[in-house]
Amino acid sequence: MDDDTADAAVGVAMVPLCLLGLLLAARAHDNEIYLFGFSLAAFTALFGFSLIKRHYDMKDRPLPATPVQANDHV
Amino acid sequence: MSDHTLQAMPVVYNEEVVRKFMIAAMFWAVIAFTLGTYLALELTWPTFNLGYSFTNFGRLRPVHTSAGIFAFGGSMLFGTAMHVVQRTCRARLWGGPALANFIFWGYQFFIVMAALSYVMGYSKSREYAEPEWHIDLWLTLIWVLMTIVYVGTLLRRAEPHIYVANWFYLAFLITVAMLHIVNNLSLPVSFFGAKSYSLFSGVQDAMVQWWYGHNAVGFFLTAGFLGMMYYFIPKAANRPIYSYRLSIVHFWALIFLYIWAGPHHLHYTALPDWTQTLGMAFSIMLWMPSWGGMINGLMTLSGAWDKLRTDPGLRFSVTAVGFYGMATFEGPVMSIRSVNSLSHYTDWGIGHVHSGALGWVAFISFGAMYYLIPVLWKRPAMWSQRLVAWHYWIATLGIVFYITSMWVAGIMQGLMWRAYDSFGFLQYSFIESVVAVHPFYIIRMIGGVCFLAGGLMMAFNMFMTIRDPQDSRQGFPSGLAVAGE
Repeated sequence: MDDDTADAAVGVAMVPLCLLGLLLAARAHDNEIYLFGFSLAAFTALFGFSLIKRHYDMKDRPLPATPVQANDHV
Repeated sequence: MSDHTLQAMPVVYNEEVVRKFMIAAMFWAVIAFTLGTYLALELTWPTFNLGYSFTNFGRLRPVHTSAGIFAFGGSMLFGTAMHVVQRTCRARLWGGPALANFIFWGYQFFIVMAALSYVMGYSKSREYAEPEWHIDLWLTLIWVLMTIVYVGTLLRRAEPHIYVANWFYLAFLITVAMLHIVNNLSLPVSFFGAKSYSLFSGVQDAMVQWWYGHNAVGFFLTAGFLGMMYYFIPKAANRPIYSYRLSIVHFWALIFLYIWAGPHHLHYTALPDWTQTLGMAFSIMLWMPSWGGMINGLMTLSGAWDKLRTDPGLRFSVTAVGFYGMATFEGPVMSIRSVNSLSHYTDWGIGHVHSGALGWVAFISFGAMYYLIPVLWKRPAMWSQRLVAWHYWIATLGIVFYITSMWVAGIMQGLMWRAYDSFGFLQYSFIESVVAVHPFYIIRMIGGVCFLAGGLMMAFNMFMTIRDPQDSRQGFPSGLAVAGE
């Protein structure tokens, strides 16, 4: 699996998690689930948007000139 | 594939996620040390509970332990595991940057949610497994993803051999997943309510809890950090491991023996006698792999002991191995039933735990961080080596204050609780034992202040190293390296 496909899969996975968070918050029986649900929805939504931003940032970034840095792998 | 081909092939490591984990680890370390010191203050002078439910010892204590173990320790383990697996396998992290980022932020989300739930009063009341079911499920998701990324990276390795540090990290990831899932099997009252009840009951429940609890020590706080030891001590000392064969024996013996040791937490309980004896026997057998590993770590310094004079970061790592040996000697002693009758429920246990947590876990982490921070941010060294040395000495002094005061307080408590007078009555009331340990609680608190001061020095040093205006990167693109050495 290449990085772009994996990144897209992670982004798509944020949608059901976000909806689950909203469902938990909407039907919560106590403060804990209410807080957790809203936080989950906010977290996954923000994470999804950060992935979109990152995608376009990467597109705009120039390629490094010399990707060589020897003796640094272990 | 020949070595020549490997040398020409660039590997773009994902160092960004490792950097994030290091910053998070430093942040949580300061939080954990601050809370620990505050709780020591509460225990010394209970008025510092302040009368609020959310500042009560019972609610803040799991925030402290979770911040220390899961937030600081877990961030260190995830971060260094991601660094070590890439470097030793000559492979970029499997799954792409988004997945690695999700693991990082998802793990931080777990920590914040767990801490908030504790201060709000939601807890399963299982030591080191306090979060309720929904937070447990979230952690399971993150943990499984981390394990998949780790194994995926191992599978795409360009090195034929899997370096021993990876074995320890893998044992940590797989076993903690198993422990976490089984111990937290529970039935929620409602899908939309936080309260849940364990699937186990009675003594089985206690057995499962301490099977989890002791193996959280064995596989989270020991195996994972041993992986750190086996990578960072040879790197910092610039020496190979003393005995690679011993490291393999260390691994398999530790893995086999640790999993049976849990029942020693339940001596003199309703647990069957043979099970208690089994836990005790396996705990004593653990001396062998533990000390084998300690000797292996220390002897790696053969021919490089002089570096301890000039590299305070390495001093942290080597002292950590010393504390590892000490704590793993003390633990089996305390697991012997007759010793346990004196030590259990006393502050000796707290002293023992902190000699392991501060001396082994925190010190091996500090050593790894002092090595990693300049590497990750492409700096020649830490901003101030003198500050590293100050950190070392003040933290060591703090541990000495802490563990000696708790040893004395614990043994005194144990002796006072079992003392009878000539009429067969208990010689001391409980409150007398509380009054007797008060001076030692003050010494413990001073030890905590010292350790916190060291942590703040480290955080400042880290901050200054990262923002160092003297750019030593010399045009190296971040996160790029060529495999082949």
